Amino acid sequence: MLILHAALVDGAVAVWGEVPFEKKGRPKSAGASAGQLRAALTEGGVAMEGEARTLIGWLPSAAGRPAPSSPLLGEPIALETTRIEPWSIEVIASEDATNLLASVVGKRLIAPGVVVGGTLAFLATAMRFAAALVSRGHVLPSLEQVGTDWFARWIAAPAAGEHEQIASLVRSIPPALLAFGTTNDAPPAIEPRAAIERFLTSVVDRQMRAQTNAPASLVSLHDRWLAALGSADGRLHGDDGELAALRSTLAEWRRPVTEQALFDFRVAFRLEEPAPDADRWTIRFLLQGVDDPSLMLPLSLVWRSDARGADAAAVRRLMKRGRGDATRFVLGSLAQAGTISKAVDEALRKAAPSEIDTDTNGAFTFLVSDAAALESAGFGVFLPSWWSGKGTKKRLSLRASVRAPKFKSAAGLSMQELVDVQWKVALGGEVLSLSELRALARMKTPLIRLRGEWVQLTSAEIEEAIRFAGARKERVPLDDVVRMSLTAAAAGAKVLALDDVEGDAAVGEILERLQGKREWEELPPPAGFEGTLRPYQARGFSWLDFLTRTGLGACLADDMGLGKTVQTLALIQKRWLEQKAPLLLICPTSVTGNWVREAARFTPLLPVLLHHGADRKQGKAFAAKAKKSAIVISSYALLVRDAELLRGVRWKGVVLDEAQNIKNSETKQARAARAIEADLRIALTGTPVENNIGDLWSIADFLNPGYLGSVSSFRERFFLPIQTRRDPDAIESLRRLTGPLILRRLKTDRSIIADLPEKNEMKVYCTLTKEQASLYEAVVRDAQQAIEESEGIGRRGAILATLTKLKQVCNHPRQLLGDRSAIDGRSGKLARLHEMLGEAVESGDRALVFTQFAEMGNILQTHLQEQFGMEVLFLHGATPRAKRDVMVERFQQAGDGPSIFILSLKAGGTGLNLTRANHVFHFDRWWNPAVENQATDRAFRIGQTRSVQVHKFICGGTFEEKIDAMIEGKLELATKVVGTGEGWLTEMSNRELRELFALRADAVGE
Amino acid sequence: MAWYRDYFPPSKPIAAKGGIKARSKRGAFATSWWGKRWLDVLEALNIGGRLERGRSYARKGQVLNIDIEPGSVRADVQGSRPKPYRIGIGVKQLAANETQRLAAELAKSPYFLAKLMTREMPQDIETLFDTARVSLFPSRASELRTDCSCPDWSNPCKHIAAVYYLLGEEFDRDPFLIFRLRGLDTAAMLDSIRGAEPEAPAQTEAQPETVPDVNVRTLVRGQAAPESFWEGSRPEVDLTAGTDRTPAPLLRRLGNLPFWRGQQPLLDTLEPTYAAAANTALQILASEPLSL
Repeated sequence: MLILHAALVDGAVAVWGEVPFEKKGRPKSAGASAGQLRAALTEGGVAMEGEARTLIGWLPSAAGRPAPSSPLLGEPIALETTRIEPWSIEVIASEDATNLLASVVGKRLIAPGVVVGGTLAFLATAMRFAAALVSRGHVLPSLEQVGTDWFARWIAAPAAGEHEQIASLVRSIPPALLAFGTTNDAPPAIEPRAAIERFLTSVVDRQMRAQTNAPASLVSLHDRWLAALGSADGRLHGDDGELAALRSTLAEWRRPVTEQALFDFRVAFRLEEPAPDADRWTIRFLLQGVDDPSLMLPLSLVWRSDARGADAAAVRRLMKRGRGDATRFVLGSLAQAGTISKAVDEALRKAAPSEIDTDTNGAFTFLVSDAAALESAGFGVFLPSWWSGKGTKKRLSLRASVRAPKFKSAAGLSMQELVDVQWKVALGGEVLSLSELRALARMKTPLIRLRGEWVQLTSAEIEEAIRFAGARKERVPLDDVVRMSLTAAAAGAKVLALDDVEGDAAVGEILERLQGKREWEELPPPAGFEGTLRPYQARGFSWLDFLTRTGLGACLADDMGLGKTVQTLALIQKRWLEQKAPLLLICPTSVTGNWVREAARFTPLLPVLLHHGADRKQGKAFAAKAKKSAIVISSYALLVRDAELLRGVRWKGVVLDEAQNIKNSETKQARAARAIEADLRIALTGTPVENNIGDLWSIADFLNPGYLGSVSSFRERFFLPIQTRRDPDAIESLRRLTGPLILRRLKTDRSIIADLPEKNEMKVYCTLTKEQASLYEAVVRDAQQAIEESEGIGRRGAILATLTKLKQVCNHPRQLLGDRSAIDGRSGKLARLHEMLGEAVESGDRALVFTQFAEMGNILQTHLQEQFGMEVLFLHGATPRAKRDVMVERFQQAGDGPSIFILSLKAGGTGLNLTRANHVFHFDRWWNPAVENQATDRAFRIGQTRSVQVHKFICGGTFEEKIDAMIEGKLELATKVVGTGEGWLTEMSNRELRELFALRADAVGE
Repeated sequence: MAWYRDYFPPSKPIAAKGGIKARSKRGAFATSWWGKRWLDVLEALNIGGRLERGRSYARKGQVLNIDIEPGSVRADVQGSRPKPYRIGIGVKQLAANETQRLAAELAKSPYFLAKLMTREMPQDIETLFDTARVSLFPSRASELRTDCSCPDWSNPCKHIAAVYYLLGEEFDRDPFLIFRLRGLDTAAMLDSIRGAEPEAPAQTEAQPETVPDVNVRTLVRGQAAPESFWEGSRPEVDLTAGTDRTPAPLLRRLGNLPFWRGQQPLLDTLEPTYAAAANTALQILASEPLSL
């Protein structure tokens, strides 16, 4: 475990690694070595150019060691009991840490066991702030002198609100960032503001410098200065006098922008539309407060020294509050606004500079060109609410009216059916007639007031509108209509958007269901389906059927535990009855066993082929068997490895379980998934797909190839505007496109809670790794002998010992072997737990994990902390009372507490209140239902109204499954079990024991 | 003296490097009415071919530097001799009572003040000057004193003419320069009109606050939780990217540097830099979403 930290030292960024403290050869030295640090960075895929140095870090220390910064590295120690002491620490220092900082954004770890510390995260935020300044163009070139050398530099030119944000960065800075120096004598004197400003400048300078090209001729001083702005070190040579003069000239030139910081107000412009019967617009000049942006006063009050009233007094107060010449500043600002906007410039020619009176053309120019430029340059700009920033909110749009020529019910309509489409043109809610459109074409202004609302109209739009409005009915396949309705685009329309598609009867039903305006028909469970579907599951199954019949791929994104498996199986069963052709189901290796068992339970009539393991079928044998199966289950790994083989089968459909496995569109498995040809396509995932824009494309493209365009067009159109600007148009557009494809219900949804039992108990069938399987068989072999050759108490002892050992094997080999060997990748249960906890944590849930072995608890805690980079609580028999209470309190508190609590207690922890948990995992089982329930009930509170998901892990094909079956099946056995622990097992005969311990071939998942 | 004019053949100047190049490539030098008025005086002096040579020198960038001080202009011009010629233009400054009268008239009209700051002089400002009985422009040659170290005895010579034309261009850009030349300190005048506090120009940029000796120990004094040392608190910053519609808004707002000597206007040279940098900044910002 290594926590990455950063420090600012002399303008450079020093990165160091905090590791569990070990006394080293050199006294008072701490932290990871430079080599370890580089290895950690490499593991995280981060390149950091820099040199290794040794610096002195002043850290809170106690008892001769630095206090750990996080519970991940040891018990936290209260600051007041520590003293700040110097430690010699190896760092990697670099002037340019942009790569490193960009790669840690939003991540808790960069690799298992390599955690991003608070200082690094803070610096990454500061770096992004600097990048935001650059993206807004709030930077200016300058010239400065350091010692006797001159340097051309880019500096930040923060606008009104940005100064406050810099102040916020300064206030929030973690002291650890400034705790490094070069001497042992005393901690370095620091100045948080200076450190932040220096850092921001260095980032800004680097970003601008990289894009500055030297001019062709380098003769004049000005051109040489420009070249220095883009050169590696920025050095500018020349006569000191000349350079000093240039520096002053530059400072004076920058002044209109820099002096904004001295004033409490700025100049602003507001566009006011004409009264209902008039046609003159006003652009009013205002003073807007910086600290209080709601304060807006007309500029006219500045010019009239005789002005009276509260507003006039407010203006005088504002003007006096600056630390400079307010009038000069206002006049200067107006002058500069005039260089950006011709309208403002003109206004200053005619009357007292307090407003502009203009016509519609002038207003339009202001809206379209001046407003954005003025705003970026630091002026306030206020536009009418009907202007969206790119155009009027109301635009001309198209409407399609669809009729199916023959009378058919929705279920009978095929997507290839031809339907009639009649085009109409609408504005807002109303349809415009052809003559109205022709009248509009005769007007010459770009902005028109139509029925009381302002609408922007280009000649291209009018022409297209007239063309569509005058067109005759078209005949197109229903499939095209559906696509049109989802993408809001009509074929042949270059400029106008398609606003609404409405249809009658059958077509209308389909469209309304897609748009979410009408519930799809709820179907009864198909024949051959065993067991019951909860009401929400029946709705989900019906939705899957409906959507896939319209030719679209469907993504079922229900919360974990709601039964995506069973809903999918119902659909597969229904389609099997219609057509006997195979469907390919791809899932993580750890889940294959689960699917097999669920299918056997709910759809026992479906022939299932599990394509997995070393002895899986190949070539013709595979093709033959697959053709006769309803479902062929395989893993993501084999999707890639056996791609050729899988291509040889005509698939009816393909289902991806845990579809987040293809979220990165570049990976082999994502490509392989997209390459499968099948009409029916379904993706299952428990993670909130629509919130991760970056991951959305790959899944959407798998479901409906080409639906969201190419990766690069998606990036331009959606990813960048949404990720960097929260662009509301892009968000809305994406939601409209993907909404119909995704069905996601949460266990907290009111409509679901009623259908869920208070305790939603589920069995999770896990597999064994090869190593686990061979250990298992070895234990069984040794046991057989011991048991068969002994009797009485000896035999009892041998049986119980074997049970314990087998439990340990099923948990993790390390538990049986008792060593400190590697953890990852050696246990099927652990792999599945990791996946499930990952999903739970991402959804903001909290989980309890029960195990009977303290050892396993340790292994789990170490592994999960390494993998998730967050603190995982672990309570076991030897935990002192006081510490136990603190842990429980921390888990129960709202907000940022730890999300995972491992418990390894004999009685399952009676008396503990852990009701914040909404997941309970039984990693290994008490075969005593009463004890198990007691443990589960830690998460319960009387009168609660939510459902807790209880997951019971069972290694399929092992004794765990068999015992579970026995307990389920034989109630008397259950009553026998209470009170006698596992003693009843010792009463089984040798033959029964042999059967119990036999390992089935399908237990192995690799 | 007439015979000198025919005696000196036109000489070829040594090419000047890094000199000030006139913006005007052809035709008139000043476009504003006051810039033109300034040049009127020069052109009325009737120095013939030297005006033409002066324009050509100004366009070629032979004028190396220009300094405007109250009452005088000093400049260096590269001629046909290795050593550049020194030019001086002296202008009669406004008397104290003239300045006061002007200030009084301006005080009555903030509109004119604003106009001046937009670098324009409305035609009607002359009425203001008339009322104040002040004339802004030299109306006669006798109000100007010009000298040049070149061997041409004609006064003004082509070197002086070159400087004169460039001044016309700069007056276009900043009418306050004429005021400055006439000895009128506009900033002081505005101050006295408005009664505002004097400004602190040198400190508009870095504002270092004097802080008592701060180090890590002082920063954590009195804190209990380890987080206050290691994590700090959450800064309130807005990481929304700018739109790409106007790449270099501040450059547009500020315009060119005075007496810019670069090959291309500043905005033209640096606008691509701003656009490209904004694009890479966007990539950095896109790596993690703003919370939705």
